[in-house]
Amino acid sequence: MEIKTLILGNGPCAYAVAENLLPTGTKIIIATKDDTIGLDGFAVSDALQILTKTRLISCKSSVRNFKIEAIQNNRPVTIDAGHIIIAEEDQRTSNFSLYGLNASFNTITLSQMKNILLDSSSEKSVLSKIKKVAFLTGLVKESTPVIAKEVMLSSLLLQKHYNLQTYILTKNLKVAGHGLELLYRETKEAGTIYIKFTDAVPDIHQGEEDNIRIEFFDEITSKTFRLTPDMTVVDEAIVPSRYATDLAKIFHIERDVSGFVQADNVHRYSVLTNRKGILVAGPSRSILTDDDQRIDAENAALAVMGLVSGETEAKAEKAQVHEGQCIRCLTCYRLCPYHAITLNARVEVVPNACERCGICMAHCPRGAVRITDLEPGTISDMLTIDPGRQLQKTFTPFIVALCCRRSAAQARDLAICMGHRLPQGLRVVEVPCSGAVSYDHIFAALDNNADGVMVLTCHKGNCHSEHGNIYAGRTVVQIQEMFSRIGFEKERILIQTLASNMGTEFSQIVNRFEETIVKLGSSRLKKSC
Amino acid sequence: MADKNVLIIGGGVAGLSAAIEFANLGIHVDLVEKSDFIGGHAISYACKAIHNTCVNCGACMVEEKLQSAVSHPNIKILTGSQVQNISKNSQFSASIRQGPQYIDREKCINCGLCLDRCPVDRAILQGFSKNNHPFYAVNKERCLYFKDQSCTICKDECPETAVDLDKNASEQPIEADAVLIAIGFQPYNPEDKPYGYGRFKNVVTGLELEGMIKRTGWVKKPGDNKPPEQIAFIQCVGSRDAKLNHLWCSKVCCGSALRMARLVKERQPETEITFFYMDVQTFGKDFEQFYRETREDIRMIRAIPGDFYETDDQRLKVNFVNNLTHETMEELFDLVVLSVGITPIEDIGSMSRMFKIGPDEFGFLKTDDKGISVSKNGIFTTGTVQGPMSIPETIADAGSAVWKIVKYFDGLKR
Repeated sequence: MEIKTLILGNGPCAYAVAENLLPTGTKIIIATKDDTIGLDGFAVSDALQILTKTRLISCKSSVRNFKIEAIQNNRPVTIDAGHIIIAEEDQRTSNFSLYGLNASFNTITLSQMKNILLDSSSEKSVLSKIKKVAFLTGLVKESTPVIAKEVMLSSLLLQKHYNLQTYILTKNLKVAGHGLELLYRETKEAGTIYIKFTDAVPDIHQGEEDNIRIEFFDEITSKTFRLTPDMTVVDEAIVPSRYATDLAKIFHIERDVSGFVQADNVHRYSVLTNRKGILVAGPSRSILTDDDQRIDAENAALAVMGLVSGETEAKAEKAQVHEGQCIRCLTCYRLCPYHAITLNARVEVVPNACERCGICMAHCPRGAVRITDLEPGTISDMLTIDPGRQLQKTFTPFIVALCCRRSAAQARDLAICMGHRLPQGLRVVEVPCSGAVSYDHIFAALDNNADGVMVLTCHKGNCHSEHGNIYAGRTVVQIQEMFSRIGFEKERILIQTLASNMGTEFSQIVNRFEETIVKLGSSRLKKSC
Repeated sequence: MADKNVLIIGGGVAGLSAAIEFANLGIHVDLVEKSDFIGGHAISYACKAIHNTCVNCGACMVEEKLQSAVSHPNIKILTGSQVQNISKNSQFSASIRQGPQYIDREKCINCGLCLDRCPVDRAILQGFSKNNHPFYAVNKERCLYFKDQSCTICKDECPETAVDLDKNASEQPIEADAVLIAIGFQPYNPEDKPYGYGRFKNVVTGLELEGMIKRTGWVKKPGDNKPPEQIAFIQCVGSRDAKLNHLWCSKVCCGSALRMARLVKERQPETEITFFYMDVQTFGKDFEQFYRETREDIRMIRAIPGDFYETDDQRLKVNFVNNLTHETMEELFDLVVLSVGITPIEDIGSMSRMFKIGPDEFGFLKTDDKGISVSKNGIFTTGTVQGPMSIPETIADAGSAVWKIVKYFDGLKR
């Protein structure tokens, strides 16, 4: 079957992805909710299909085989795609309210000012009648280099080509972008006056006839000034579009604090999402410069190429739901961070989408999900030899550390390499994700004579499976509470977070735990006791 | 693409990220790294998570890249190596000189005895990643054997006879269809600034602090190995500096310094931290909240201090003008951290001669800016050799470079 790539968006980034992919022979569908496609020069062909007025409503199945329901021109349509790239444009909201201002003929947004400067004919008369323009940026909320660049470019044009006096009022000037320090100096040379604030903010009054009066204490001269600009330009916040947010919900994609369609997770660098086969490029994922958007488009194309050439993955290694035991409680469906579980006649795992984290297995109340090499019985087998027993003279606690393969297990290797001393009775069991750790694993360890069990997981926000570390935390806390109730030392179970590059901290954590266990003495659950 | 071969010069974040992308497409990579360890500057960076929460600095991703690269069958890594000369007919033919590998990688078991027994400071270098094997290297510049042959302790004590101080350099030819220059940046050398770096023991760079935290998990004063009570971070050392003609913001130092400052505050809460800055740059996706919390923990002073003086007890007297009160202040700190900027790396000179591409007005090297003429020749750049970039930006830029080279290969076919 021919695999198509669906690009969602109607802006430069979406077009750039298409332009990159077309020469590779990839079959592409561009779908936009807008009435027309914004760029000329895209010819519909065998390789390129364009769907306008098309709004997605749901998506079933997984990578290589997405089945998408959409509404096109008020009629339902189905789109089949192997891979999806979300490249919707962002949206701007004006910051008038942050400064206590209302929009008016002389109090405008940054976008409005950009339009005036872009428009070569009519609106120029506006600029011919004024002398002083004030830009307000990053005074209440922190700004970004993208906005700072637009403010500085606008001010430079006003200063140089229209002979206006410009003022930029800001707190931290965001110059962390290519060429921005240079631009800053250029604007200063052109005559722009920068008024920077550290803690205080200026008093801004919008009087009758919408005249603006700005009063402030200048930190450099220690004097109070009054500025009465003829025009005031207010900065904007860049936020994800409503539709991009909808798409995140449709595709079950984790979002960041501002709602952009990509979790704030290092494992998603640069265009990945928690769903295999769904990529996010450009303004849908973050506030990016034009250059960064171009780079995103190239990375998305590269990722698609990798996905297309990638082989289908073997089913045997992935999670499997055993029909006889499944009661369709949908716990696995709700918890799977990769959305790799489908609900058909049976509850099934899509092998291509499964990342083998084990969260479904650990949390299935019926034990119906299995993953080879990950079952508590296998873990139990790994622990049959108690290394502490050979060292009988002094108490050497047998400590089992269930370590995330990506973080803590790597940190352990680094600790050894760095020459750190680790407890003699430490036994590390690698798990693909700490989310795979269930009650059974922890009790299997205790049942095999462990004096203490640690779950060593990723920091919050750093889990490849998004919430695996959170689930592990809950499991451990529940066991600790239970231990407290039944009068067993809850200190024998510990959860800690680590990153792969924390060798020193790994040794500190396990050695501290060993001290705790030595104080507690041998576990009463030990069979030899 | 399976028949293609790419030569990557530089084994930092950019070079490694690109290598992995190529390798995954079935393209063979020869990665030439000048130093004894791959991973670049970033492999020495510490995890800066606070309150058990990742702050998205990206340092752990460098570790992951390293691990993927060393284990990939399509990537051949040559450390301690440099491109001697290169010519191009239909393909690039390069001669790679690999410096003497004094510690045999096959024999070394990373026991660390060579470092333990070595009588000279920094004559045996230690890596930062377990994926750098061997984890140790002999530093010819400091080793006594190379001075007067007076010491062979490492060789004598090595239980695996892995050390051979008489090893010679070797040369080998490499054929490549494209070259990717990813030689990274030079941290600004702050010795020229009036901050006493190199003279006062308790003045360190931000990069040195990253390495200290990664190795030991703590911050201590180099002077007496005790925890500092007052730390000052000085931003923009070598960046945004008109006198140096460094008219750029290094982009990464605010993030690195403030994340470290908060980590220190969490682990050593009794430490008082002052942060001297011009403008705090936005980093991370939840900067607003991070910055708000930062200001509760850390004293922020919008000023760049003047000269430092060292007191008898190795503390540092720092003069600055308080921007709010206009008073000239003099304060004592027992550790000063200089956030040194990203500057063009020296080797850009030899690269631009070798490949006939000129650096930009500030000395960085970027083929993109030269139009398509250079990349038409199969020579590409990526990463901080082009200018300041964060770890995530570098990873993205490497992907972009790989894509350009793939397109270049495609163009050759037609």
